[in-house]
Amino acid sequence: MEILESINWGILLPILVIQLILLVVAIIDLIRIEKTNGPKWLWVLLILFVNIIGPVLYFVIGRRNQ
Amino acid sequence: MRQWFILFNKEMLEMARNFKWVWVPIAFILIGVMDPITTYYMPQILDSVGGLPEGTVIEMPTPPAPDILMMSIGQYNMFGVLIIVLITMGLIAGERKSGVAGIILVKPVSFSSYITAKWAGGLLLVWVSYFVGLLASWYYVGILFKWIPFGDFIQAFFTYGIWLSFVLTVTIFFNAFFRSPGVVGFASIATVIVLSLVSGSLSHLLEWSPAQIAGYTGEFLSTHSFPEAMLPTTLLAVGGIVFLLIGAILVFRKKELAA
Repeated sequence: MEILESINWGILLPILVIQLILLVVAIIDLIRIEKTNGPKWLWVLLILFVNIIGPVLYFVIGRRNQ
Repeated sequence: MRQWFILFNKEMLEMARNFKWVWVPIAFILIGVMDPITTYYMPQILDSVGGLPEGTVIEMPTPPAPDILMMSIGQYNMFGVLIIVLITMGLIAGERKSGVAGIILVKPVSFSSYITAKWAGGLLLVWVSYFVGLLASWYYVGILFKWIPFGDFIQAFFTYGIWLSFVLTVTIFFNAFFRSPGVVGFASIATVIVLSLVSGSLSHLLEWSPAQIAGYTGEFLSTHSFPEAMLPTTLLAVGGIVFLLIGAILVFRKKELAA
């Protein structure tokens, strides 16, 4: 656990917050959107578990352009 | 001009509605910040990954600050370009496919304002995202390593931005050609890769190729002076942007009138 203490959280925290914003925006949009490209549950998993790339991928190809 | 602003505002509204104004800047920040942080924490990362015999001492020289900022630009050269192509490839092609372009163009809207409004909208989004991303990278390089003078940062920012604008314009150009966003994306990526590869391997022959801009930016960051070829390269890139834009308008006019 000493490795966790040696890290300066002031440096990493802003980045974690930004990642969280990205994730939350993607999830909120996924809940509100009617239909996605591909099954919705798959996008939930991708957004939650694939860091950064998941939400970005959702915005690029998951949202169906009507 | 009023018409152009209406089209431009429509672009802005669309980008806000599909969250491009949220995720593109965030993606650029994350891409930019990644390298300074991993470079800074490399000893800890190696430690925690383990696998090294007890007592191994690895002396790692800290790279100079400009090199680390340049690493971020190198990431933009890959992932930044990819994101730009991904967000731009459906800009016109997608609208033509869904019929929105038809709805807009039956009205007395000139083809040139339609294309340039889209181009300007995309350009604004890319520049703003790229600015916050590189600013974040510069800030992290500053607090973790050494501060790079802000003037250097601004100059590097604008020089490399020309290449990103060039990539965006290439994608807009292919948008006028093809109807499917996938084909547009593929053609744009292929063009950029071929251009980079050819300019990279024949760099002494193609000193003025816009794909050299990234290299020149790095040279500027470490030596504080641009190579001689920088000016013609910039002019060629800007000329290429204008040429591609005019080409896009001409092709688009021809295709839409025929369709």
